[in-house]
Amino acid sequence: MSLHTAPTTDTTAVTSAATSTRDWLIASAAAIVALIALYAVFMDHGTVIAATGDYLHEFAHDGRHLFGAPCH
Amino acid sequence: MSTPVLPLLGRGLAAGGAAGLAAGLFSLLAAEPLMDRAIRAEEARSAHSHDGATAVQHHEELFSRSTQHAGLVVTAVIAGLALGVLFAIAYALVHRRTPQAEPWRRALVFSAAAFLAVALLPGLRYPANPPGVGDSGTVGDRQALWLASIVISVLGMLLAWQVSVRLSGRPAPVRHIAVVLTVIAVLAATFALPGNPDDVPVDATLLWNFRVLSLASHAVLWGVFGAVFGGLGLRAAAHTATAAGGRPDTAVVTPSG
Repeated sequence: MSLHTAPTTDTTAVTSAATSTRDWLIASAAAIVALIALYAVFMDHGTVIAATGDYLHEFAHDGRHLFGAPCH
Repeated sequence: MSTPVLPLLGRGLAAGGAAGLAAGLFSLLAAEPLMDRAIRAEEARSAHSHDGATAVQHHEELFSRSTQHAGLVVTAVIAGLALGVLFAIAYALVHRRTPQAEPWRRALVFSAAAFLAVALLPGLRYPANPPGVGDSGTVGDRQALWLASIVISVLGMLLAWQVSVRLSGRPAPVRHIAVVLTVIAVLAATFALPGNPDDVPVDATLLWNFRVLSLASHAVLWGVFGAVFGGLGLRAAAHTATAAGGRPDTAVVTPSG
């Protein structure tokens, strides 16, 4: 019995470590998307995300002022 | 459960969406009349000045005011979702040893810290200005300063947390006073940054009301966020306890840290 238990435990540990790594990779990707979203909404003036021109900035204009982000 | 980060991410998104919507609707009702007034005052100022043509340029009518009103709510929801993600990850890292413990109290404490870090402390250093304030020539500098004040405040919250952890053997009053003094020191540190270079040519009452409403919107966001995040945490803890065969309330009760 104990001969079988030991490898099983090891496999579980490896699997959970892999799951953990995968979950933290997903979390890191989500963090990057979140930072880009915050940049787009509060900082971009059409210089970095060039395709948006001033549209993004003007659409988010009131939110920027209200939440204290510097605006033109 | 080996990694609680994904369930926490889900909670962060749900709480962030709800909080952003609440803050967006609150500011739509409470602050938009002020912003409309500020924009009309700015247009009047521009019309009277000699270089009116250039001054009025930066409120080019890309969108109607009603579209910008909707934009405020959309902006708030996007910001809420994004902040929810970052909040969940920070929460998972800070509480990685005991991720399930005390979901309600921790959510409230963490939300209060987030409010201080991204809203109150930066807002005291660089208070929000209504439309019509802000020189487009200085916007890059002002963004850098604003970001710096947020970075200082976020690092300051980590410092306050470490102070609390290091003093965990001391009586609660010593610990709490030390944490408050740390937060005050962090606020003082943000004042080492140079001030906002722009003139604020608006009515003082309007300015005060706008700034109060700006902080109130942040407070609505983080208040709703903490309540939803904590409530979902309580529910998850109850489910875990039920699944493990225990009574729902046993998982929630853990010694305070």
